[in-house]
Amino acid sequence: MTEIVRGFDGCPSWAPAFGYMGASLCMILSSWGSAWGTWRAGLGVCHMGIDHPAGIIKNIVPIVMAGVLGIYGLIVSVIITQAVAPPGDEHNSYSVFNAYTHLAAGLCCGLSCLAAGGTIGVLGDAGVRAFGIKAENGRKWYWDAAGAMDTDGGDELGGGGGGGNKGSAEGANKLYVGMLIMLIFSEALALYGLIVALILSQHNYVCN
Amino acid sequence: MSSSATAAVCSSEYCNAGWSEVLTHMSPYGWASFGVAFGLGLSIVGAAWGIWLTGSSLVGAAVKAPRIRSKNLISVIFCEATAIYGVIMAIILTNKIKEPEDATDYLAQGWDYPGYYYAGYGMFSAGLSVGLTNVASGVSVGIAGSSCAIADAQDASLFVKILIVEIFASALGIFGIIVGIIQSNACNFPIAALS
Repeated sequence: MTEIVRGFDGCPSWAPAFGYMGASLCMILSSWGSAWGTWRAGLGVCHMGIDHPAGIIKNIVPIVMAGVLGIYGLIVSVIITQAVAPPGDEHNSYSVFNAYTHLAAGLCCGLSCLAAGGTIGVLGDAGVRAFGIKAENGRKWYWDAAGAMDTDGGDELGGGGGGGNKGSAEGANKLYVGMLIMLIFSEALALYGLIVALILSQHNYVCN
Repeated sequence: MSSSATAAVCSSEYCNAGWSEVLTHMSPYGWASFGVAFGLGLSIVGAAWGIWLTGSSLVGAAVKAPRIRSKNLISVIFCEATAIYGVIMAIILTNKIKEPEDATDYLAQGWDYPGYYYAGYGMFSAGLSVGLTNVASGVSVGIAGSSCAIADAQDASLFVKILIVEIFASALGIFGIIVGIIQSNACNFPIAALS
């Protein structure tokens, strides 16, 4: 029957496991968020590009913003990795306090970037598709030159547009500005996570 | 604060000793090997996922527009690159897994156990970082590539513009291997024989 003697070792040998898990999870989760934003917004850009190719370069913005989330994760991950100290000859110096702090920092940044990536993706998808529809005034590539579908029963958006319709480029630009404002608020979510992670990673307790 | 023993508080064989029992009762070589396995395996999963996503759209769109076949293979190559990142990480980690010079059945009293554990945890997390990041990168490149093929089939001038999206997606794989290399840099098993 083994007798477990409870002591408190502030710097056990298993502490770096949590520190490294924090660094890894930060990179992993933020790259999942960035990927989600990239592919979701990219789908929207591609589908918009079929009807309105002139707007593609302008609408790469959501994809760039999603890519930045990967960079946030990279920054925090490298900061945490550098802070996980290897054990010295006499004793370990990486404490359990540091380990849990770094795990929390990694999760903060990672989960925030995951959430922000999803938001940017879905917003970007909807926004760019709407931009394309507005810029083309609802016109589709499979309509003929007269602006009507081949089959009868075309909708009221065919051709020049009915009364009360703004000029299509002006309306599209207003929509674009609205989408940009929403995207900036979404990016701020990842920034909150980055700030909290950086503050957390400053905390330090060294065993001596 | 070094360890200080107090009175025994648990004296049954079913007591556990906390996180130590979970994390230190597996050999550091086991942690490192799992890192290699996850690093390689998950990167391949990501690359495969991307390739079937983009390839199925590519062959479907090429039915009506055969000209897109050769150009859009670049999407498949982007996905393959994420697999290559996994192979690179696996080779780096495998070269670090070395036997102690004084190998016996039981390690001596003064062995640098914390150093072994540090190296093992680091290699595990490096492999996991690279593997799971490449899953994300592969899926993202796959979906972007699939949309690129469909858009290219519609209008050939769209190809280069949509490629920008794929480049952003594949940058994630590069971030993953950067983090993996930085994490595994400091992790070396202390195999030198005790003097």
